[in-house]
Amino acid sequence: MSNDTNVKFRLNNSELWGGLIGLALGGFVVWSGLKLKLGTINDPGSGFVLFYTGILMCLFAASIIYGALTEGGPTLGSRWEDARWGKPLLVIVCLIAFSFALNPLGFLLSAIPLMLLLLRVVDPVRWTLAIPIAVLVPLGMWWVLKRLLLIQLPSGLFEIG
Amino acid sequence: MSIRHPIGIVIAALGVLISVAAGAQEYPTKPITLIVPWPAGGSTDISMRAIAESASKILGQPIAIDNKAGGGGTVGPATMAAASKPDGYTIAQIPITVFRLPLMQDVSWDPAKDFTYIVHLTGYTFGVTTSAESQFKSWQDVIDFAKKNPGKVTYATPGTGTSLHIGMEQIASLAGIKLTQVPFKGGAETNAAALGQHTMLQADSTGWRPLVDAGKLRLLMVWTSVRSPNFPDVPTLKELGYPMVYDSPFGIAGPKGMDPKIVAKLHDAFKKALDDPAVIATLAKFDMVPNYKNTEDYKKFVVEVTESERKVIDTLGLAKKTN
Amino acid sequence: MDTLINVAHGFGVALQPVNLVYCFIGVFIGTLVGVLPGIGPISAMSLLLPITLSGTPESGIIMMAGIYYGSMYGGSTTSILVNIPGEAASVVTCIDGHQMARQGRAGPALGISAFGSFIAGTFALVALMLVAPKLASVAIAFGPAEYFSLMVLGLVVLTFLTQGSMAKALLMACIGVVLGVVGLDSITAQPRLTFGRVELIDGIGLVPVVMGLFGVAEVLLNTEQAIKRDVINAKITNLLPSKEDWKASAGPMARGTILGFFLGILPGGGAVISSFASYALEKRLSKTPERFGKGAIEGVAGPEAANNAAAGGAFIPLMTLGIPPNVVMALLLGAFVIHGLQPGPLMITQNPGLFWGIVASMYIGNLMLLVLNLPMIGMWVQLLKLPYNILFPLIILFTIIGVYCSSNNVFDVYVMIAFGIIGYFMRKLGYEPAPLVLAFVLGPMLENNLRKSLILSQGDLMTFVERPISAACLAFAVVLLIGPLLPALRKKREMVALDEGV
Repeated sequence: MSNDTNVKFRLNNSELWGGLIGLALGGFVVWSGLKLKLGTINDPGSGFVLFYTGILMCLFAASIIYGALTEGGPTLGSRWEDARWGKPLLVIVCLIAFSFALNPLGFLLSAIPLMLLLLRVVDPVRWTLAIPIAVLVPLGMWWVLKRLLLIQLPSGLFEIG
Repeated sequence: MSIRHPIGIVIAALGVLISVAAGAQEYPTKPITLIVPWPAGGSTDISMRAIAESASKILGQPIAIDNKAGGGGTVGPATMAAASKPDGYTIAQIPITVFRLPLMQDVSWDPAKDFTYIVHLTGYTFGVTTSAESQFKSWQDVIDFAKKNPGKVTYATPGTGTSLHIGMEQIASLAGIKLTQVPFKGGAETNAAALGQHTMLQADSTGWRPLVDAGKLRLLMVWTSVRSPNFPDVPTLKELGYPMVYDSPFGIAGPKGMDPKIVAKLHDAFKKALDDPAVIATLAKFDMVPNYKNTEDYKKFVVEVTESERKVIDTLGLAKKTN
Repeated sequence: MDTLINVAHGFGVALQPVNLVYCFIGVFIGTLVGVLPGIGPISAMSLLLPITLSGTPESGIIMMAGIYYGSMYGGSTTSILVNIPGEAASVVTCIDGHQMARQGRAGPALGISAFGSFIAGTFALVALMLVAPKLASVAIAFGPAEYFSLMVLGLVVLTFLTQGSMAKALLMACIGVVLGVVGLDSITAQPRLTFGRVELIDGIGLVPVVMGLFGVAEVLLNTEQAIKRDVINAKITNLLPSKEDWKASAGPMARGTILGFFLGILPGGGAVISSFASYALEKRLSKTPERFGKGAIEGVAGPEAANNAAAGGAFIPLMTLGIPPNVVMALLLGAFVIHGLQPGPLMITQNPGLFWGIVASMYIGNLMLLVLNLPMIGMWVQLLKLPYNILFPLIILFTIIGVYCSSNNVFDVYVMIAFGIIGYFMRKLGYEPAPLVLAFVLGPMLENNLRKSLILSQGDLMTFVERPISAACLAFAVVLLIGPLLPALRKKREMVALDEGV
């Protein structure tokens, strides 16, 4: 555990970037609040609370940025040190692909490949185990929901499921 | 095993058109969602639940009630018009605010174009109540107090632009007084507001009845054309000198472009539901009088009501500013 | 003595075999839907409402009530095991409950939450029997100004939920408020922040946000660590809470029960606020607050007791005034009305058999739940022995199904995946999701009540100070904020230093 309090201004300071994102969001919220109209104090409009929340966001974000500039903070890289950053990225890619496939293909045709991918890409499970899990679990859930709880999962263009 | 019908593959090959047609024949094959744009537990919610219950038996599929409250009962239909497919699996109760609000402000829907009207069902009994501990013993007391304290009399409504809001403003302008409206989200909330004396008055449909029966709330007036058989001592608007009747009739509709066959199926089911003794009993509990109109008459009614609303809104000066 | 006769009468009704069967079916279904994240009591009750029509009013309502409090028992299971809160009230349980599971103490965590639920549920029922009619006035004493101040207090409470920087937590809370008000304005029906997306007109759903920020983000974090993932199935020491666990939990349970019961009476977010408030209270009272967030059993026992006691308190406004404090109670009200009964001030005197029968059945149901849930702990703990590379795809599958089932909407699955990714980066940068979720729930109520109170007071801000309940809430909030400010600042520095050391 090292003492980092003398870290000076650095562009790859993760605290700084977090604060800047917060400030941008705050600014956007203030602008939306103004656009939705503040109303008056005895009849506040739709933008009233958004406007003041946005101002608070800017204040908190500014204090985070101030902290980052005066006290420094961990670098962006250090947040991912010793982490297999590629693995979560793979999972994210799988999830995004799944969300594009869900509507046209339906639940079963998209969930089974998703399960198979997830079981194989992170820490590969052997095929003899991965395939039965990937096929039987979504199928089982689909059956329980459809038959017992009367909930229809998306069936997609091919009406499978 | 995973393919539901042997003909599923053929249908897929023939494309979307045919599968839609096949869907219409089987309709309904899954639970139907009925959007009730009021919080659960109010009079509309409970009567719609009773009607849906009965209609679901006829349709052979459960009808799930989805309470999407807010905006004086417009949030639900507006969400449906914007986001749901016209497949008959999402329908909504259409309160009169759906026609009125577009006259008062910019909204995301057009009542003449964005809905497929299915069947007209019933209307409400409205009334104005106050806490039993309140200083107001009659409507005249309210007028006397409001004349001395303009704007100090507050009343809870189930939303801006509801019949209750419009009606109260009309009464106030006829009586020459100024009242302040506080929009809540429905009967459960306005009951609590009146009971706790957070607002001086409550203007709402008959969700207040058990509380009036128990002597916790005092009913000052009803807005029907004749006195309610349940409250024979309470005067109507006409008797108090305001030549008006408010009953805010409502029906159900789906998103625009629904298959006429599905509309007919839903219409028949809901029409039958109105004859169900359980439904009649529930409606009577809330002093709701069945007001059946078929699909064609409902469409005509929408045009008429929009016109009459326009006149009222214009005279009250609440119309949308066009610049 | 009237009460005793009534209670005896009530048990007479509840112990009829047919009612016992309905009660069991209810709590069994409740446990099931509680364990499955996303499929909450609301969807289960609306689907089963028709079935209750066939029997007597008592048996129908006994079953519906069973689903409700049964789901409260099951709700904490996934929070503890895999960090997925099934509903807003169990978000707090994730904080320490899941940490306990990672330390191999899933058994005690599940056990204490089952026992805590049982004790709180029982107490709430006794209180319901004794004081229900007298407490009816509490529910209506809260007008817009009081709600606003209570929400402010609720948001202040969140500063106690944070381990890291206060500014970050407050920024997260503001984002939560903003996300909460997306959709049509409930007062003017204007669309806000919907970016022209029709799906957003209805607002962002709580379930997809919570499951994304907690469930999916947790999975993403875990997959990046090859070694850390084995911690979860380290060695499992005990299946049930030990003597020390009981000693540590007794106080939190008692306080959580009382807090939950009273907050549960209030229409609105009673159960959610009470679980967060109980957590904050225990952290404040604890001699070792630094253990919170790292697997403190008090942080599980208190909130779990609170949210079950709140479930009992919620019956008061329904049974005595006919005002349902939440959607579940409104469904129960619907069940009453369909059976031709109107809950309200007259119900207890006109229908004593029904009222006391339902209360007595809830007592029996709570007992059934305890018997049903304790043996299942062993089974749940076994689940954690699955290797993580098999477990995590299953977790993702269950969150997807749960989110879809909660709304029948594919868009919500997208929302969950998006919030999962956002949640992952948030956690990497040291921003915590719990304040965001609390603010997301409270924000819309805060806004709505602020605007209503300003209309009522005609713009006079003094209304919040002049009304006694409102003033008390605000004063309490100020004490909470200012009291520990200095030590908190010091702690913040330490935390930052620790962060940097990692």
